[in-house]
Amino acid sequence: MLFTLIRRELLDNLMTFRFAAAVFITLLLVVANTVVLLKDYEQRLTAYNTATQESHQRLHEQQTYSYYIRKLTAHRAPNPLSIFNLGLDKRVGNKITVYHAFVPTIWDAEKHGADNPFLNLFTSIDIASIFQAVLSLLALIFAYDALAGERERGTLRLVLTHPVQRGYILFAKYISAMLCLLVPLLISLLLSIILLTTSPVISLNTAEFLRIGGIVLTSLLYLSLFYLIGLCISAMTRRTSTALMLCMFVWGFLVLVYPNLILTAVETTPKPEAYISDHQQIKQMWEEWERERKQFLRNDSVLGPLSQNGEGWGFKLEGVEYTFGPREDKPSRLLYFYQTGFHAGKIGVESEPQVPLVQDYYGFYNRGTLNTVNKTWLVRKPALEAIYIQPATLGRMLLKFSPVGLYDAATEAWAGTDLKGIQDFFNAVQRYRHAVLDYFDDEKIFESRQWFAADQGTADWDALPQFSFQRSGIDINAKRALPDLFLLLTINLILFTIIFLIFIKSEV
Amino acid sequence: MWHITKREIYDNLNSLRFALTTVLLLALMVTNAVRHLREHPKRVQRYQSAVTESLNHLTDRADDSLYKLAQYGPGNFYKKPSPLHFCANGGEPVLPDTVEVDEPIVFGTIGTDDSYEEKVVLHGIWTLSYPDASLQNKDVGPDVSQVDWAFIIGYILSLIALLFTFDAFSGEREHGTLRLMLANAIPRHTVLIGKFLGALVSVSIPFILAVLVNLLLISTANTVHLTAEAWGRLGIIFLLALLYTSLFLALGLLVSTRVQRSAVSLMILLLTWVTFVVFMPSTLAAIASSFSPARSFDEFWQQRNPAQEDLWDKYGNRLWSEESDEETLRAKSGFYTEKVERSERWREERLKYRASQVHRAHAITSISPATLLQHLIEAFAGTGFERHLQFVENTQRYARQFREFIVDTDRGDPKSLHIIGVREGMSQKPVNPAAVPRFEDTLSLSKDFNARAIEILLLALFVVVLLSGAYLAFVRAEI
Repeated sequence: MLFTLIRRELLDNLMTFRFAAAVFITLLLVVANTVVLLKDYEQRLTAYNTATQESHQRLHEQQTYSYYIRKLTAHRAPNPLSIFNLGLDKRVGNKITVYHAFVPTIWDAEKHGADNPFLNLFTSIDIASIFQAVLSLLALIFAYDALAGERERGTLRLVLTHPVQRGYILFAKYISAMLCLLVPLLISLLLSIILLTTSPVISLNTAEFLRIGGIVLTSLLYLSLFYLIGLCISAMTRRTSTALMLCMFVWGFLVLVYPNLILTAVETTPKPEAYISDHQQIKQMWEEWERERKQFLRNDSVLGPLSQNGEGWGFKLEGVEYTFGPREDKPSRLLYFYQTGFHAGKIGVESEPQVPLVQDYYGFYNRGTLNTVNKTWLVRKPALEAIYIQPATLGRMLLKFSPVGLYDAATEAWAGTDLKGIQDFFNAVQRYRHAVLDYFDDEKIFESRQWFAADQGTADWDALPQFSFQRSGIDINAKRALPDLFLLLTINLILFTIIFLIFIKSEV
Repeated sequence: MWHITKREIYDNLNSLRFALTTVLLLALMVTNAVRHLREHPKRVQRYQSAVTESLNHLTDRADDSLYKLAQYGPGNFYKKPSPLHFCANGGEPVLPDTVEVDEPIVFGTIGTDDSYEEKVVLHGIWTLSYPDASLQNKDVGPDVSQVDWAFIIGYILSLIALLFTFDAFSGEREHGTLRLMLANAIPRHTVLIGKFLGALVSVSIPFILAVLVNLLLISTANTVHLTAEAWGRLGIIFLLALLYTSLFLALGLLVSTRVQRSAVSLMILLLTWVTFVVFMPSTLAAIASSFSPARSFDEFWQQRNPAQEDLWDKYGNRLWSEESDEETLRAKSGFYTEKVERSERWREERLKYRASQVHRAHAITSISPATLLQHLIEAFAGTGFERHLQFVENTQRYARQFREFIVDTDRGDPKSLHIIGVREGMSQKPVNPAAVPRFEDTLSLSKDFNARAIEILLLALFVVVLLSGAYLAFVRAEI
């Protein structure tokens, strides 16, 4: 019986113009956007490759270890699954320098350049947003006349004259409509995956296919949710035209209005001004350390004059080529540090006796700097969290009151382009920084002659730990997506129950 | 005809869709106003502090000497935020809001021995440069497309227009009321026009209401000041919105006359809507812009080098002379001016190439009325890409004016040798900062209107074609 019902509904749906139109719209949008997104991904990958090579080369050109300041760089590769949901992949910086004077965070990262940044005007929509906006609309259009239409035409009465349970009818309608909606969803996804595999730069492994599977599953639940909303409206209304209008406006509200409305009502833009006192505190810690350093130099009868009591950027040794003093003062991200040093190719014979003293000094200075950084990090970390992460999390949570937000969050989590996925990268960079510093500690690089001079052996960059980043495993992605997935499922079940109750009790 | 129009309006006013439309548009417009009121003062403040800073630079230099002014130029230029930003944000975050004045490049050899003394140093003069937008967005929060008028009109109002007309004839045909109406002695075109006007009025009422609330909120707040010209621009944008709505109403009527069933009519309309409104402005533009490949910085850089090498060959020997006879000074001045000219020309070419890529995409997507409307609203709101190019043009004009001013003022000093750009050859007197021309980032409504007249006509043409199509279809339709 159920099978007959499903077949009837399925034939009813498949033969319609709206089914053809739905397939056409989805295919057009998904394929065209995949082409554009793929191209964009390839460009970003090229930029990443060039940048990686360039910074590798720039580092290897240097001879002293202290050159690693601002030259040792970690790059973030674009995520191939960003084609499905772009998330933060393009917005957040992808180039970050790694050295001891600060702890690298998302906010310190910079972006690779683009050939024509004006082309950012034409942002194409990712596949998740197509499903989010267009496929949900199609789901509602499949649903609005499912019950109201049959009631209007009188066929519902006819069907109910047979000994069929009402639940069966509902279930048959749901299954067949979902099958119909699956067709455009799966075909378009299949085509876009084919396009992805034809690209020479993308090779998808099993884990990535599983992630795409996760995205498909989420899309399915999301579609089913919108279909059920439509069915609910259809069950409640007598006339199809009313049902249609209600569906359209519910869609407009959930997809277009609510996200904007809620983020306007609750302001979630970061406010770094409120944490200016923390920045002052960090600044003071650094100034304190700077005084300590100068005191150290002033007390030293040899190094004092050589460094102008610490006022100079380096030391006045014979053969000094270049002095440096990088300084950052960015209150908006609570970044403050100040470094001094010098590079020398060959240290003159007269200055030779002072070299061990300078070596000792750099050992002291770099360790002191590290201590200061660790101390300021205790202030900086929670403040950054409060300025940027908390409002961002709040905003995302508020958006989740609409299924659109739930869907977006879940697909982002699957694709690994969500905030946590991006944070994984920066955590890896922080770990890498520790590895480099540990290596420096073990090899006593900070107090070595090669820290500043290149005459007796140069820096051995190949022995430095290499940076590598592996995206989190599928299990972690799943763990991040599951709460939202579960919520979507629950809403589905609740809606189905409501429709069932309404339909059972309604007069035909 | 008025009878029919009135009937349509009454019919619509009582309907659910009218009520829902009103609520939806009001919600969107209020959101838009609140956001604008919150963000616009910040923008203006940022702009004003930047402008003050660059003015201070200019004053300092003028107070020093004419030479300093000629060497360092005016301060950076900033794009004035439009008070009508709420009408269209025009991709403002990805567009740069400044044209910078580069500090003079110093060429020279610096002694490497124990005395850190400068030997021969060439102090060049300032150049205009066009930096990329700083995309250093630190916000990691959710990214929600900002609701502006262009979005509300382009996306929502067009969809609403379709929802009001998709069953105009097919619905009546299904109900059988169309036969009844035509049984009376009413010519068919009257019916059509009556329906069109009725739908236009019923869509306009909620829209006007929402616009009024929006403008009331914005104009009563004392943080945003709208001038008479701004109101004129708003008027034009409003009329454009009506024209655009009529276009979709005409489309709805056309499809509705041709199709027997409302459900099919709705699907055809949605298909058209998605193609023209969702697909074309973004995706097609992205595809179109990549027809001509973006040239990388290196390619441009290679173009630049030969021209620069020439200059060194041309002036090379004289430049390093420490004498200050007139010939050396003239050589130095010639070198600086030509160097600046060439590098500015090179930068301009690069900008033009980039702009041409965008223009091509704009031209191709102009077949979609939604893109036309987007560009028109941007033009009249004073935001967007064209506005950016206008700003760049303004700065270039000002740069010429500023350089002329330097030459003219220098001419007024009898002690000066009138060799621009070299310390020994120029007036050392301070300049009255008030006498230096000021940069004004102006926009003219009439100019915008003239530049956009063709696009407006194109939009009107779309409406006429669709309406006459609907007329022809309806006259021939069997009921």
